[in-house]
Amino acid sequence: MRLSNSIDELQAVNNELEQFGESQDLAPDLMFNLNLVLEEVLTNIIFYGYDDSATHVIELNINLKSEIIEIEIIDDGKPFNPLERPDPNVNKSLDERQIGGLGIFLVKKIMDKAEYFRRENKNILILQKNINTKS
Amino acid sequence: MEIATNRSKDVLIVAVSGRLDTVTAPEFEKKILELVTPENLKIILNCADLSYISSSGLRVILMTLKKVKANNGKLVICGLQESIKEVFNICGFTSLLTISENCESALSSF
Repeated sequence: MRLSNSIDELQAVNNELEQFGESQDLAPDLMFNLNLVLEEVLTNIIFYGYDDSATHVIELNINLKSEIIEIEIIDDGKPFNPLERPDPNVNKSLDERQIGGLGIFLVKKIMDKAEYFRRENKNILILQKNINTKS
Repeated sequence: MEIATNRSKDVLIVAVSGRLDTVTAPEFEKKILELVTPENLKIILNCADLSYISSSGLRVILMTLKKVKANNGKLVICGLQESIKEVFNICGFTSLLTISENCESALSSF
């Protein structure tokens, strides 16, 4: 599917994901995790990916092949590899804990494989999850 | 996302339901932080009807906990669904927060 860089698009993404989940008979906890992963990656792109205020297209593809869910997200924002972002220290005490930075960390923890490419002025993020292993 | 409050003696029970995501978290943040006052030192956040949370919602929970602690109060979270519990585990929230199975056990932890 193609969506624009607006937070309002998240609802449409959820609807698309619901349909995909129903057609592939995916378990509710997996659907929860996929919903979370898509929200984190897309909000990151929508909030921080662009230097202008123009409308941009984000391309999203979800496939299930040989029990592996593959999510591909392509945007034409500024070069940014979310996977290079340092992980938050989740063992710190409350006083030392920073408020943000959990989104991409969750994506990396939930998915089994994550790869980033920069190609033809586009950011390409490919995420995979084996649905036979427990999250 | 909806939020409802009631009281059991000196404990404020805040029930949050629906989805806590990028879209709804700002409203939740405003409402819950208003409820964290020096008068409300014992707070239960009942998540039994919370179906979804993303990092935006987790951020607000962390802010709420910090504000409660700054008042020397106590926050107990109860009723977490399995998927949300797993997210709490990944983010290390389980060791930061007091988590109870349900509202009754949360009440007895004060």
